[in-house]
Amino acid sequence: MGYPHPTHPKETPVLSRHFGDSDARSFDGWKRRGGYASLEKALGMSREQVTEEVKTSGLRGRGGAGFPCGLKWTFMPKQRTQPHYLCVNADESEPGTFKDREIMRWTPHAVIEGAAIAAYAIQAEQTYVYIRGEFTEAIAIMQQALDEAYIKGVLGINAMGKGVRIDMTIHRGAGAYICGEETALMNSIEGKRGNPRIRPPFPAASGLFGCPTTINNVETLAAVPPIIEQGGAWYRAICLSNPNSTGTKLFSVCGTVRSPGTYEVAMGFPLKDLVHDLAGGMRPGRRLKAVIPGGSSVPILTADEAEATLLDYEGCVARGTMLGSGGVIVMDDSVDMVYQIMRLARFYAHESCAQCTQCREGTAWTTKILQRILHGQGKLEDLDLLLDLSEQMTGTTICVLSDSCAAPVVSGIRKFRDEFEAYIDSGRAVAQV
Amino acid sequence: MVASAVELRLRNSRRDTANQFVSAEAVTSWRRIYNSRAKAQYFLARGFALDRDSTYYFFLTMITLSIDGRAVTVPNGATILDAARGLAIDVPTLCWYPRLPVVGSCRLCLVSVAGAPKLMAACAAQAEEGMAVETETPAAVANRRSVLGLLLERYPTDRLAPDGQDVAVGAAGFDGGGPNEFERLLRRYAVPLRPERHHELALRTGDERPGDPMIRHDMSTCILCTRCVRACADLQVVGVLDVAQRGERAEIVVGGDGDPDHAACTWCGECVRVCPTGAIHEVLPPRRFPKERVAAPERAVRSVCPYCGVGCQVDLHVRENAVVRVTSPWIEEDTPNSGSTCVKGRFGYDFPQHRDRLRAPLIRRGWVKRRDRWRYEGPAAERRRGPWLSIDDEGERPKPRPPERAVGKPLASLSHIPRGPDDVRDRVATPASWYEPFREATWDEAMELVSQELSRIRRERGPDALAVFCSAKCTNEENYVLQRMFRAGFNTNNVDHCTRLCHSSSVAAMQRALNTSAASGSMREVEEVSDVIFVAGANVTEAHPVFGAAVKRAQRRGAKLIVADTRRIELAQRADIHLHLLPGTDVALFNAMLWHIITRDLHDRAFIAGRTHGFDAVRAAVEPYTLQRAQTITGVPAADIAQAAELFARGPRSSTLWAMGLTQHAAGTDIVASLLNLILATGMIGRWGAAMIPIRGQNNVQGASDVGAIPMFYTDYQSVADPAVRRRFATAWRVPEESLSLTPGLRVTEVVAEGSPVRGMYIFGENPIISDPDVAHAEHWFQALEFLAVQDLFLTETARLADVVLPGASYAEKDGTFVNTERRIQRVRKACEPPGEARGDLEILIELSNRAGLPAPFADPREVMEEIAAVTPSWAGVTYERLDMAGLQYPVPDRESGGAAFLFADRFPTGDGRGTMVPVEYLPPSELPNDQYPFMMNTGRQLYHWHTGTMTRRAKGLDAREPVPTVELNPADAAELGVFDGDPVRLVSRRNAILIAARISDRVQRRQLFLPFHFREAAANLLTNPALDPYAKIPEFKCCAVRVEGAA
Repeated sequence: MGYPHPTHPKETPVLSRHFGDSDARSFDGWKRRGGYASLEKALGMSREQVTEEVKTSGLRGRGGAGFPCGLKWTFMPKQRTQPHYLCVNADESEPGTFKDREIMRWTPHAVIEGAAIAAYAIQAEQTYVYIRGEFTEAIAIMQQALDEAYIKGVLGINAMGKGVRIDMTIHRGAGAYICGEETALMNSIEGKRGNPRIRPPFPAASGLFGCPTTINNVETLAAVPPIIEQGGAWYRAICLSNPNSTGTKLFSVCGTVRSPGTYEVAMGFPLKDLVHDLAGGMRPGRRLKAVIPGGSSVPILTADEAEATLLDYEGCVARGTMLGSGGVIVMDDSVDMVYQIMRLARFYAHESCAQCTQCREGTAWTTKILQRILHGQGKLEDLDLLLDLSEQMTGTTICVLSDSCAAPVVSGIRKFRDEFEAYIDSGRAVAQV
Repeated sequence: MVASAVELRLRNSRRDTANQFVSAEAVTSWRRIYNSRAKAQYFLARGFALDRDSTYYFFLTMITLSIDGRAVTVPNGATILDAARGLAIDVPTLCWYPRLPVVGSCRLCLVSVAGAPKLMAACAAQAEEGMAVETETPAAVANRRSVLGLLLERYPTDRLAPDGQDVAVGAAGFDGGGPNEFERLLRRYAVPLRPERHHELALRTGDERPGDPMIRHDMSTCILCTRCVRACADLQVVGVLDVAQRGERAEIVVGGDGDPDHAACTWCGECVRVCPTGAIHEVLPPRRFPKERVAAPERAVRSVCPYCGVGCQVDLHVRENAVVRVTSPWIEEDTPNSGSTCVKGRFGYDFPQHRDRLRAPLIRRGWVKRRDRWRYEGPAAERRRGPWLSIDDEGERPKPRPPERAVGKPLASLSHIPRGPDDVRDRVATPASWYEPFREATWDEAMELVSQELSRIRRERGPDALAVFCSAKCTNEENYVLQRMFRAGFNTNNVDHCTRLCHSSSVAAMQRALNTSAASGSMREVEEVSDVIFVAGANVTEAHPVFGAAVKRAQRRGAKLIVADTRRIELAQRADIHLHLLPGTDVALFNAMLWHIITRDLHDRAFIAGRTHGFDAVRAAVEPYTLQRAQTITGVPAADIAQAAELFARGPRSSTLWAMGLTQHAAGTDIVASLLNLILATGMIGRWGAAMIPIRGQNNVQGASDVGAIPMFYTDYQSVADPAVRRRFATAWRVPEESLSLTPGLRVTEVVAEGSPVRGMYIFGENPIISDPDVAHAEHWFQALEFLAVQDLFLTETARLADVVLPGASYAEKDGTFVNTERRIQRVRKACEPPGEARGDLEILIELSNRAGLPAPFADPREVMEEIAAVTPSWAGVTYERLDMAGLQYPVPDRESGGAAFLFADRFPTGDGRGTMVPVEYLPPSELPNDQYPFMMNTGRQLYHWHTGTMTRRAKGLDAREPVPTVELNPADAAELGVFDGDPVRLVSRRNAILIAARISDRVQRRQLFLPFHFREAAANLLTNPALDPYAKIPEFKCCAVRVEGAA
């Protein structure tokens, strides 16, 4: 059998073209599919050329923030007076997101190759791959691939015989969502508590162990080998809508659809097609009610808004939400929005690192209020209190976890206020389960 | 660079010239710049000498911004908060604390910056040129009220201070006190208490330290600012506290399992100091200090800690004539300790209120007054005897096992601590029977008897039959008046004090080499500038904990740490190189280091040629000390010696610290001399960052020596044998010149010796029965005296032998000055009155002096200081007014001088300005282990006790931590002996034997022991070897051969 679903004609498989093909996991299999040619090519180019190619491609960070990848690399000091580090953020913990897991499961060498190219470009001799601890399968596969890469001389003190040192180490997370935040991830690697750090200084100036550091998402790095191989211009041309969002993007679709899974489409693809076409649409008799397009941290879209959304960075912002990590959570009319929002808030309350006052207390309090509403003990003023709390939690903390908690709450109350009021009035849900 | 206005202002407020309180802004700027290694490197690369001045002032650029419409110029790198503080604009903060790493997590200090999309954290955001900051915009205030409201949501309402209650003096918040820091902010921003939704979130929890003798937690009032965590990790470099859990369950924990002992807590109380709500607070012994008395102290008095030589300034909180609490000065104030204290300073303040305090003079029964003369008519055989066991007899008595430590465990889980005669918690108090041989007397009787007997002995047996022990614990003024009384009133130079037993060999060696007797530099330069820190024979983290923390901070800043120690003490474990030498082999080590430096051509030829004599002789003397030979003698691997030598010589700024580990040897002077050779040959002295610091062990041991409490010198080390000096002092004291003796007096160890001519003694605040070597012998010697008067706080082991005991005043009950280890003269201020009829020590001494026929025309210590300044050239510019704040580091030759943070920049105070290097040879310790006595025993201090334990063993918290004597025994040796932790062992030396509990510890090497000397019931000095250093007459406390017998 192959990957859970055959490639849909509307997909644009670049990263996912070997998904389901277990032979691609091995070093030799990857080589046979043209692997490590990009790394070899990159090592033959100057560091600036590599960075320039990535800049040309228009590749933007796939972890959620969408920062241009090539530009990020240029922030690293040109002269290396201290060690430089590359961190690969494989701590994929955002609820509803499971694309990095698939990349690591099926094409571990793509990650290693992309990371090696990036490490070369930013003069990092040491790379840390920070993988979410729960991804036991992905960790085993990545570790095996890494060992093979060392054995074959792709990595190490003299990577590919080109006289460049590229070392790579897998670091397992220990179950904290916040360690997916870039500076918390660095603290975690350093052996400290995974608390996000104040910026500035930004990682490119003072990151891991106080040295210049670049941190990229797995999907971002996995896209680098094809860019080096086929050219930035080729990648840039993969674009359906806004020219500032280029290339392909993996979307992990979950929720009340008939075929949940990871789908790779070109930037600018309509959300409507993703949900109804690729993911198989709603179950019989059910109507689309809401979509969270970018992982749990972004504002919720109503069905109407979702149907009109184009999946790229700008398209989502135009609908008042964000592309985020590409975790599309679909909800039909059987879903109790109040309950779902409480679950999201509870997640953030549980995962708050507890540094900032607003986040530590705000997420917990928000959860408590939502739970009270669910138990039929809510008051109308509680909705104002929730909105007030959410406002206090937005834009006032070190990282954006508290903003992430506030986003679904605020959009949920604005867009589905009737469901909240029904609980407050009658103590019952609106949704028809 | 053109000096900007701010820079000029800073220049004008320089500490060492103006010696005045500097603005908070200036201090933060200095710190910031100081800590900037990048800038230091920038200036080094451009050929700037990194001396004191340039490190202060090398701002690269200044920037100007406006805050609340007012312009301010700050050095680049300052934060918005720094700039606001410079303008005295109070931006509220909770997680921010000066000198702690900025985490910016409380989100209270957020301010509005023109053009910025979001509020910015003032504590973390760097100020930028042209920035326009508003601190109290509606958005900023709304955010603050939100933060405070969220915190209040989980804060116990019943703990809020009642409205209108005033702020407790200096209090950071304490149970029942006024509003704490957090509550004051609630009031400032008028955050409403909304009871109807209160406690929707549970009160916070955390580790509570149940049963802890000094620090407790009430975590329901914790607001998770994490100051305690950072203070522990970054100020004290210990790391006991941390945040555990996430989200709403986040809490402060103590180590991994809640047991501070397991987490290596040192009970310094830094967490107590920084806590803004009093969630972490000190335990005040409830019976002795009812809680209400702590609530509102009548006043707080700035004084100096009475323990080690670091000279920490502390605030004594007074209520109803008792010190009820000790707090730290504000961290940014210019104090030698930056407001830090150690466990002794913060928690060891209750001994003055101990029930054992003497409240009236005591006279031995048998003394009666007949026809205006006192005579002893008691039974001669019982003279100086009492219903007590001698130290000798106590040594071999069974001891209680060390109790299980209470900390971290619920009290119920502890095994029963036996009550009764052996109750460990009461055994240090003076037994009632000790008072039996005495009767209470009036001051007039006691004074009369003392002056009659001292005068009689002088008349009948000559002046040199009298001797006085001054006190390193007492003030300069008291010591000065006392030595003045004995020199001019009783015409003897038999004046000495316990410096003899600690740094006399350092002084002898430093006098010989450099004609100096104090540290050349400051503790601050070690912390902030030195590149290499060489700690030899000093357990700094236990004996001088505040300085120890500074050394650890220096290492964290990047300084390299070399530790030479026979034990694996904390600093040794942290050291870059630990020279783990065998006891007493220091000369071989230092000589080998010097020879290696010479062979590698790393010695400072220019310094040797221009500043020293005698290098060639030293070179010839150290030549035989090859690395290989040194390895054989010292047991330190040759590679380590070589590496340490090179590191030290390369510097570029290496500081050297040493203490008793070098000095308390029969070859102590030689050992220090060989270290001085190393310092001089590498030129590591006389520059800012290259300090030579013999770390002083007592609060005023430096000062007592400085004001002449030593047998061969008047004040300022002016020789008693010099007729010109004598003439000056005779004039100043208005006595005939010939009444002052030209013969140097006897030293402590010569006074208490077979064949000593001394028949009558006055002992001022010392306890030689515990602190002298071979005390069994000393005890007999004291019993044979004709007359003994003791002035002390308690009926000590020495005082119980006396004819007259005069009750004096504790540090909290007197005015005066102490000198710390860096030559800093600081004011001690009276906080309360002595108990009962006890009097101020100075008052007692002045009256005695007057009765002895030497008028002491002093009304108060200030007048004594005026006379000291008049006869002491290097203190000539000292007045009490100038000693406020951080005091003065002498020499202070005139009123204009601001003192000197470091000395010898150009010359040494010798005739030709050059130092002298003295060749020394290695001699083994005078007593070596053999088959019969296979162990080498070392003595010293513990963290929780101090000296003979007279004070610390009467401080409840300290005593709870180390209630019984223990000896450190290597695990392998213990296994061989079949001894487990806490088991009694018998230690036998050539002189005596004691019974003591074993503490199994790998801090000591095999076949070595470490025995603290604080405990009278197992007095270490029953065993020690009285062999003396030929120059300084310091005994060999550190090496003595013993046998260990399992006693079970």
